[in-house]
Amino acid sequence: MNENIYTITELTRLLKAYIEKAPAFNGVWVSGEISNVTYHSSGHIYLTLKDENAVLSSVFFKYANRNLTFRLEEGMSVFAQGNLTVFEKRGSYQFIISQLKLEGIGELQKQIEQLKKKLLEEGIFDPARKRPLPFLPKRIGIVTSPTGAAVRDIIKVAKRRYPDIEILIAPAKVQGADAGISIVNAIEELNRPEWNIDIIIAGRGGGSFEDLMAFNEEAVVRAFFNSRVPIISAVGHQVDHPLSDDSADVCAPTPSAAAEIAIPVKDELIDYLFNLRGRSYTALLSRIRELNFHVDGFTRQRVFRNPLEIVSNRNLLLDDTEKRLIFAMRDIINTGRNNVLVLPDLVRMMHNVIKDKTHGYLVAVNSLEKLSPLSVMKRGFAIAADSGRNIVRSIRDIERGEDINVFLSDGSLECTVNSKTGEQFHGKEKN
Amino acid sequence: MEKKKTKPTLTFEHALKQLEEITDNLERGALGLDESIAEFEKGIKLARFCHGKLEEAEKKIEILQKGDDGKIAAKEVKVKNESGEIDDDDVDLQGTLL
Repeated sequence: MNENIYTITELTRLLKAYIEKAPAFNGVWVSGEISNVTYHSSGHIYLTLKDENAVLSSVFFKYANRNLTFRLEEGMSVFAQGNLTVFEKRGSYQFIISQLKLEGIGELQKQIEQLKKKLLEEGIFDPARKRPLPFLPKRIGIVTSPTGAAVRDIIKVAKRRYPDIEILIAPAKVQGADAGISIVNAIEELNRPEWNIDIIIAGRGGGSFEDLMAFNEEAVVRAFFNSRVPIISAVGHQVDHPLSDDSADVCAPTPSAAAEIAIPVKDELIDYLFNLRGRSYTALLSRIRELNFHVDGFTRQRVFRNPLEIVSNRNLLLDDTEKRLIFAMRDIINTGRNNVLVLPDLVRMMHNVIKDKTHGYLVAVNSLEKLSPLSVMKRGFAIAADSGRNIVRSIRDIERGEDINVFLSDGSLECTVNSKTGEQFHGKEKN
Repeated sequence: MEKKKTKPTLTFEHALKQLEEITDNLERGALGLDESIAEFEKGIKLARFCHGKLEEAEKKIEILQKGDDGKIAAKEVKVKNESGEIDDDDVDLQGTLL
């Protein structure tokens, strides 16, 4: 027997030291296919790499795999860099992976570039063909995974902006081999007229380049282009946007942003409509007053002191259509009756119009009073008219020395103009 | 075959735009009385139309499901208020339309 007898441990350690120190194995890159992968609860990933003739048992420790942007699956072809070591207790060698890349990622990018060029020449990305989104969609179609973050984000935004909006989700796989066909299918389904969709939002939350691959597939990019319903590409991304962004009518950087773009804020629209209506009334009222300004004693009429009294005393039919009132009012004006009769009708009409049944939007009673000319004058405003009873709007309407009437809430003053001061002169006009 | 052009239906957007124009016109105060009233009347009609449009949607969330017979139907689902998460045991969230 030779005196060089090693224990198993000694031999294994020698081997371990040899392998770990060998320059050829230091930071070596290998290419292979993942054949067996286990995500351990500790965060480490255990996997076997293989090719036709050999296997390499490997471990991807938590500290090294935390930057991995995709999930390792069996059958994936990868490049892995790492160091070899010996696992003493099992008498096996092991590959400690420091980084891992999908094989063919460069190839994929090249393919995308080629597809992009081809579709560009075809006019698929032509900005001129992009359609504007309908301003007020009633029904939104969503193409995404019903369990992903995207659908939740869109629903949250929709509920906030337009609680009544209708949402129809067409479930689709958004990653994996059959994601592309699944997305195409869902987009086509939502395009069927029976679903009555006004805008489609198709996308998913952010992910790695590989995760977003489906939105670079030719069939998917074309499905966005071919969508009869205006469509938003809503794929979360930081750097490279997917090709679907270019073929959609509108693209958004995230699903939430897509919902913000697609869905208006209902309350703002309602406020704006009331604002326009209010401005129209006010403008019409002042126009009528201007054109029929027979001021003599009008402020003494009881109806102007309290327009609401008229409304309640006469127990007016508030359900009358505005149209009838307006026509009645027009008749009154056309037949040249005293304008004193016009104003109560206006008050009545305003009351009707403002009382909006569909919304239960009731303007407070005092807003009616605010519109009464008397209450405006009671706050200290006066109306000046020239000797021809025309309202004086500008200092240019009146010459120095001319007589004017100034109407206050309780009567009128006859005045003579002594001098004129224009705002733009910040002082007295010299003439 | 050439399609006959039908009169486009009034959209919310167009109605709102017309209402804005009418309001501007009225505020400019350049119209006669009859015209002002006619415009005003038109404006009220447009505003009503817009309000009506705003109330058309029926507040529901649905998901398409493929039945055993292969037919695709929309199914209304409940959604958690806070998270926006679909919360419905009767819905197959793993199913696609394939």
